[in-house]
Amino acid sequence: MAITTRVVDRPVDESSYIRATFQGLALSFKHLVDPHKVTVQYPEEKWDIGPRWRGTHRMLTTEDGTAKCVACGLCPTVCPANCIKLVPGEDAEGNRYPLVFDIDEFRCIFCGYCQEVCPEEAIHLGRHYENAEYERKDFIYDLKRLTSQTHPVCEMWDPADPRGE
Amino acid sequence: MTDPKLVNLTIEGRAVSVPDGTTILEAAKTAGVLIPHYCYHPGLEIAGVCRMCLVEVEKWPKLAPSCATTAADGQVVHVYSQKALDARKGVLELLLINHPLDCPICDQAGECELQDYTFQEGRADSRYREPKRFTPAEDFGGDVMYVTNRCILCTRCVRFMGDVAGDEALCVEERGDRARIGIAPDHDLTHPWAANVIDLCPVGALVSKDFLNKARAWELDRTASICPNCSQGCNITLETRDADVVRMKPRSNADVNQYYLCDEGRLNYQWINRDDRLETPVVAGQLASWEAALSAAGAALKGGAAHVVASASLSNEALWLLKQAAGTGKFRVTKGAEAPLPGVKDLALRADRAPNATGAERLGFSRADQPLAGAGKVVVIAGDDCDGLDTAALAAAQSVIVVGTVAPKGLPANAILLPVANFAEEEGTFTNLRGRTQRFLQARPAPGLARASWMALAGLVAAAGKAGAYDSAEAVFAAMAKSEAAFSGMSYDSLGLKGQMAAGAGVNA
Repeated sequence: MAITTRVVDRPVDESSYIRATFQGLALSFKHLVDPHKVTVQYPEEKWDIGPRWRGTHRMLTTEDGTAKCVACGLCPTVCPANCIKLVPGEDAEGNRYPLVFDIDEFRCIFCGYCQEVCPEEAIHLGRHYENAEYERKDFIYDLKRLTSQTHPVCEMWDPADPRGE
Repeated sequence: MTDPKLVNLTIEGRAVSVPDGTTILEAAKTAGVLIPHYCYHPGLEIAGVCRMCLVEVEKWPKLAPSCATTAADGQVVHVYSQKALDARKGVLELLLINHPLDCPICDQAGECELQDYTFQEGRADSRYREPKRFTPAEDFGGDVMYVTNRCILCTRCVRFMGDVAGDEALCVEERGDRARIGIAPDHDLTHPWAANVIDLCPVGALVSKDFLNKARAWELDRTASICPNCSQGCNITLETRDADVVRMKPRSNADVNQYYLCDEGRLNYQWINRDDRLETPVVAGQLASWEAALSAAGAALKGGAAHVVASASLSNEALWLLKQAAGTGKFRVTKGAEAPLPGVKDLALRADRAPNATGAERLGFSRADQPLAGAGKVVVIAGDDCDGLDTAALAAAQSVIVVGTVAPKGLPANAILLPVANFAEEEGTFTNLRGRTQRFLQARPAPGLARASWMALAGLVAAAGKAGAYDSAEAVFAAMAKSEAAFSGMSYDSLGLKGQMAAGAGVNA
């Protein structure tokens, strides 16, 4: 069956492109002078991220620069992704401390349970999102890296409103 | 034995019949109710000092300490009545006044009775605002460290050392809130059974220096096993973390070791994790497949009567298969000093420092100081007890087959090495010096291509052209029970986890 087409005449004020062109140009011009901007000029500008943002980890330290961690083993126990490797050891004074504390950030699902369970407030999730590395192995954060990072840390809850009401 | 008189009582609504003289606490266990307790331990004298096991008995004016109260006819016991719960909550609150909240760094966390009972029945917080008492930790010698702050003064350790070990090294010092466990002058806990106080301690006050800060209790996998360090055959639990054995704990067996394990036994486990193991079969210095190694070994066995050197550390299954493949032979047993535990009948660290000398003898193997002496053309060495032997006898041998976990030194160049698992990596049975055959289970994987010893030796039986094909340790044991009088009537099912005496032997081991 042959295909037939039927051309319908439309009113010229509906089909003219000239009006639409000027409408579009007017919108563009309006944005040129309008100070309201949505695009963030990353990386020169950065978003403020929320206080409960859960990013890559940090280990907080005591005044003398050693990790606060006492190697209690609660975070590897609670971790649903099984991404924390902890080997406890004993220092010269007989204090318990982590010999190895590795977090595999690839495996991590950023649930924040480790921070929540930590009795020493040592391990924290970071308010941080720039995580690019050149090597896959660099995503396994060891204790040195976890303690030397300085980005702000996640507030699991708002201290003024701990129940989130 | 005459039947003991039974008394009938009701515990938590459940009717219980127990022999006359049983305590309410033990009677409740038969009803499936565990009454919280600290000072009570079934292996020790009753002290009644902790007041944790208070229960309500109807028509009694006061709560009764269930560990020290004898069950009587018609008693109605309420373990979880409000009055009993309130009393135990009070006891816990007082215990926690000076107990530090250092569970994150305490080795006992996860297996701590104070933690468990506080979680079950205690207060969520403390009303005590004053600072806690602090006393530094103390080294008690031996394997024992005393962390004074955590002590709840149940005195289980004091009673064990005095009544069971017969060495009154421990006592309660000072009074009131300064009370603590003290050690007598010129004493330390180097008694050969002293480390049992670590297991007895319900909290983290007495901790093992060997295990200190090594692993958390909840990370460990536990496997029922038999201590391989002497011929007593104490029942143990092998506790492994990531397939490494990190400690050995006694497993109670009233007929063998009650609740105890000697220090030498419990601390001699590092060799299980050694990593210089034989992992691949070797034929004449070249790595080989199991098929090639077994056929070479089979051909060697057909070349003449074999001189067999066995080991008293091998399981009964492996020894029996060795006998099938190459005949019986000799074995050597390392000797050590005996160390009895006075408070328990017939329990000691035995002079024979190997678990299965009795089993080997019952299977027809004999003891010899120099098992290699008189070696002929074909020599089969099974087990690792031949280190340090005079290997000159091997020089004349045409073929040497070694079934072991590590390669011994001084082997001729054409030796055939078959790598096998150690006792923690396979299933099997040991027979202790009183003739009790007991099972042990696999706790960790064998390294590389190493096979369970029964499997390697079953392969050797087939390669040597002898009858018999076995697909499990249980099948080997069943075949052995049929052919060996010493094991007749036994099976893995009948052994269970407590073991069984040979038919016709005495009841107690």
